[in-house]
Amino acid sequence: MDVLNAFLNLIPVTFAQSLMYSFVVLGIMIPFRLLSFPDLTSEGAFPLGGCVCAALILAGWNPFLATLVAVVAGVLAGMSTALIHLQFRLNSLLAGILVFTALYSVNMRVMGRSNVALFSADSVFLQLSPAILGSVPLQILVFGVLVAATLLGLRWYLATEAGAALRVTGINPDLAPSLGISLWTFTLIGLGIANGLSAFGGALVVQLQGFADIGMGMGLLINGLASLVIGETVTGRHTITRQLLAPVIGAAIYYQFVSLGLSLGLQPSDLKLVTAVFVLITLGLPALRRGGPSGREKLHA
Amino acid sequence: MSAALLSAKGLRKTFGGGLPGARPALDGVDLELAPGDFAVVIGSNGAGKSTLLNSIAGAFTVDAGTITLAGRDITRLAGHKRAGMITRVFQDPMIGTAAAMTIEENLALAERRGQARRLRLALDRARREEYRARLRPLALGLEDRLATPVALLSGGQRQALSLIMAVMSRPSLLLLDEHTAALDPRTADLVMQATLAVVQEYGLTALMVTHNMRQAIETGNRLIMMDAGRIRLDVGGVEKSALTAADLIEKFRIDNDRMLLGA
Repeated sequence: MDVLNAFLNLIPVTFAQSLMYSFVVLGIMIPFRLLSFPDLTSEGAFPLGGCVCAALILAGWNPFLATLVAVVAGVLAGMSTALIHLQFRLNSLLAGILVFTALYSVNMRVMGRSNVALFSADSVFLQLSPAILGSVPLQILVFGVLVAATLLGLRWYLATEAGAALRVTGINPDLAPSLGISLWTFTLIGLGIANGLSAFGGALVVQLQGFADIGMGMGLLINGLASLVIGETVTGRHTITRQLLAPVIGAAIYYQFVSLGLSLGLQPSDLKLVTAVFVLITLGLPALRRGGPSGREKLHA
Repeated sequence: MSAALLSAKGLRKTFGGGLPGARPALDGVDLELAPGDFAVVIGSNGAGKSTLLNSIAGAFTVDAGTITLAGRDITRLAGHKRAGMITRVFQDPMIGTAAAMTIEENLALAERRGQARRLRLALDRARREEYRARLRPLALGLEDRLATPVALLSGGQRQALSLIMAVMSRPSLLLLDEHTAALDPRTADLVMQATLAVVQEYGLTALMVTHNMRQAIETGNRLIMMDAGRIRLDVGGVEKSALTAADLIEKFRIDNDRMLLGA
């Protein structure tokens, strides 16, 4: 009974946390699903956002400005991956690995050491209302509004002429140039937006937790993919709205599972194996049923 | 003859990075199209027909030669920047449309070809009305299925849609790359009729590659035959209309089974 109670008590906190992480899952979904570009940069963009934000706040910057700069840093990280892929024709996975590996050193330089505490330093939450840090319902409200605004913004963007052009570069890259659409432009924009979102998630997490750690991105990508896959089984993928809701709903469910696992006595370090096996099963199962993936098929996840 | 719309001079292209023994796909091609021309290109496999179309569309840059369109040198212009002036319908219906997007989204993408992609909603009531009007002459019922994902359409329907997409931005030059070859004969006929209708309606200049002899004889005002990367024959006007399939085969010893079978 204790186990169950522990889990039930954690549900609201976990939900608030998952709302923050849904920015990262959105940042993973956009390249994988909309651009057909398997991008691993978020593994580095998330801590980059956190580290930049923490360092700037400790340097006395306004937390809103610090968060904005963190997002810009994430955008640049995503664009770096895009550029490496486009200019040097490196495989997209390798381009992402290069960037997040390099970002590890950048994050270390930015913070000066492997972790910093913000203690009583300012944060966007303190600026909004000091009550937020102590109140889970308020956190859910604030994060919920942020997530909803982001989803609406993305939904609007994807319905614009530019958004349609971005989608077509992922759906049919052979067609895009003949429609006068530059693959370069929209790969840069797409990866920029995606990793800006991941960095935004990192900046929020750091300000809520009150500390930044160089290793905070480790395994994040697999968590994000697991969330995405769970979300897509719930919402489906046949409309843009559903595709956009999948990361948020998936993150909400995934982090409850994690919390349940921890309540049951799983070690946090065991979770990565469990998650990896889960992602393998969910992504691998359709291929097994079809009798092996076909050669022309793009790597979707 | 009025001033040329398209002028290609001395086009050369060799694939394979100049490896010894690599045969040029284009070996000095000169081609001029006057406004309103409908030129049909035939030739055996490997004659350089598709390479010619691809180099005009800007899928790659040529090794030598120049391409001018309406007086503008486009030889070094990237493909996506030529798209406003030159559009194409591909042989593969899967390439010409975005499967996961709806009919109206595909048309909206095509409508902005050659123009900036703005942060403005791609679709509205007036546009949908216009798209219906454009699709109606096809008589395929597509005008009532604007919100249907293109993935649910048949190959012929997709090809007809991709034809409308290619002409709706009123290009200077329409490239047709064996665009009926992947379709069954009835559908191929239908798409060909639609092609002739839109070319007429929009007053387009067109360059069509085909393997179908009957199509080559019946269609257009010019016939161009390629072989081994060169243009071997370029006839127009009365001479073209007098041509028969037998003439072509006999005169130019075309040893291509596909062409005979297609006749």
